[in-house]
Amino acid sequence: MMATDAMIQLIHVSKSYDRRIALSDVTLEIGKGEFVLLMGPSGAGKSTLLRMLIGEERPDQGQIFVQGRNVSRLKQAEVPYLRRKIGTVFQDFRLFPQKSVFENVALPLIVQRASVTDIRRKVTEALRAVGVEHNKDQLPHSLSTGERQRVCIARAIVNGPVVLLADEPTGNLDPERTAEIIELFKLINARGTTVIVATHDPHVMALVSRRVITLTQGGLAEER
Amino acid sequence: MKWLWYIFREAWVNLWTNRTTTVVATLTTAFTLACVGIFLLSYVNLRNAADWLQEDIKVIVYLDDGVSSAETQELEEKLKEDRMVAAIRHISKEEALGEFRSQFPSDSHLLEGLGENPLPASFVVTPAPSYRSPDAVSRWAERVLTMAGVAKVDYNQQWIDALAELIRYIELTAIGVGVILCAAALTIIANTIRLALFARRDEVEILRLIGATNAFIRIPYFLEGALLGACGSALALGMLKLGFELFRHQIASAGRFRGIENMVSFFPLSICLIFIAVGMGLGVAGSMVSLRRFGEGRG
Ligand SMILES: Nc1ncnc2c1ncn2[C@@H]1O[C@H](COP(=O)(O)OP(=O)(O)OP(=O)(O)O)[C@@H](O)[C@H]1O
Ligand SMILES: [Mg+2]
Repeated sequence: MMATDAMIQLIHVSKSYDRRIALSDVTLEIGKGEFVLLMGPSGAGKSTLLRMLIGEERPDQGQIFVQGRNVSRLKQAEVPYLRRKIGTVFQDFRLFPQKSVFENVALPLIVQRASVTDIRRKVTEALRAVGVEHNKDQLPHSLSTGERQRVCIARAIVNGPVVLLADEPTGNLDPERTAEIIELFKLINARGTTVIVATHDPHVMALVSRRVITLTQGGLAEER
Repeated sequence: MKWLWYIFREAWVNLWTNRTTTVVATLTTAFTLACVGIFLLSYVNLRNAADWLQEDIKVIVYLDDGVSSAETQELEEKLKEDRMVAAIRHISKEEALGEFRSQFPSDSHLLEGLGENPLPASFVVTPAPSYRSPDAVSRWAERVLTMAGVAKVDYNQQWIDALAELIRYIELTAIGVGVILCAAALTIIANTIRLALFARRDEVEILRLIGATNAFIRIPYFLEGALLGACGSALALGMLKLGFELFRHQIASAGRFRGIENMVSFFPLSICLIFIAVGMGLGVAGSMVSLRRFGEGRG
């Protein structure tokens, strides 16, 4: 029942916290190399869906597949390896405040015990791709918010992930910065990475004329 | 190898950013373990003393006054054949008197008035090593007492028994106190690690999200605990050694118990190393307690 080019599949996925429904019976499929906007009002379940894709939450019902692997059934010890294939970008950046830009971006490689030469090459590449290579020795707090988000994106792509997830990546940015960041996602997507951006910002929708999945109150409302 | 460097640096950063807590924890751990050490030290020394006394035990077989030299000879032969006897020395009445005079020169007039030599002849028996236990000695003494010509059998066993009793008490107390204080040290370290974890919970969360394994996240904290424990126990040993030397010096200069200072000894190197290893173990256990609590219900 699985299409060979499906990167992500959700089959009748439901999740609630206490009695509050976060997702109810969501079935959807996202293909390899797609760029998808995940829209919906606050509380619609966007973040919950993304958290499930990286094994941070488990569905109450249903199955979730990433590259054909059932991530709703992963053992705790397998979760880190799933996360190494998926880059994640956060609204609040989540950078280590005491580490330089270079070290922050190197972290996903360090935790995989990559060699020093590999780290140097890949980090430099990622920093160049997002355009912050000249900031590599700075600490996060000395960067502008737009630059911080770029560093966060560099960290997410340094591994060469198959999927890039971004949860409200432009929530803290002005419209101009937003446009730049979205442009960056498009570039990353053009190189073959599946990109999923969760947002409730209509600006973003105006910037991206790709597939849009809208959630309302946990349910799949519309697709475009 | 960058990851190894990373892990060590993280442990160091934890120690450094919480340096006040680290220092306090190390000192408290050190004092706690030093208390355990005091018990251990007295225990080890008393055990040594008891062993020396037991090793040194001599059984004195006093002879009846009227025993002839032939009978004495016969008894000596009999004792020499005994498996229990390692060495035997005969002390005649005259020798006993001579010894008394040389040991208590100022008191020798006490014997002058008695005319006849009142001191009995005796055999001083050194028991064979395998028969030096209190039980064996007392059983043997009872048997010898029944032999012809034997007036009395004497040995300093009561003394040794009393000491052995004391040692047993100290042993029990040491175990009790040791367990309690080790638990205290473990709690102190666990608490320090918990603080470090709490201070860096956001960073731990990020590490999880970017695909760090639990082991990778935890190792710096284990190292921190191990280092805290090792430093604490090493410091405790230092304090103990200092206290020990002061004590020895005090005794030597007081004069009253002179000689004891050469009998007491500090832990041998092997016990020092074990002591530090135990401190390290407590540290690791402390980290484990905190990490387990911290990691509950997380990915
Ligand atoms: N950890 C949690 N504990 C309890 N309830 C939660 C938790 N996470 C999410 N929820 C609830 O689940 C529902 C979906 O939340 P979610 O964060 O996925 O929404 P969202 O679409 O990302 O919203 P936003 O646009 O505000 O980020 C909400 O009602 C929320 O209150
Ligand atoms: Mg959200």
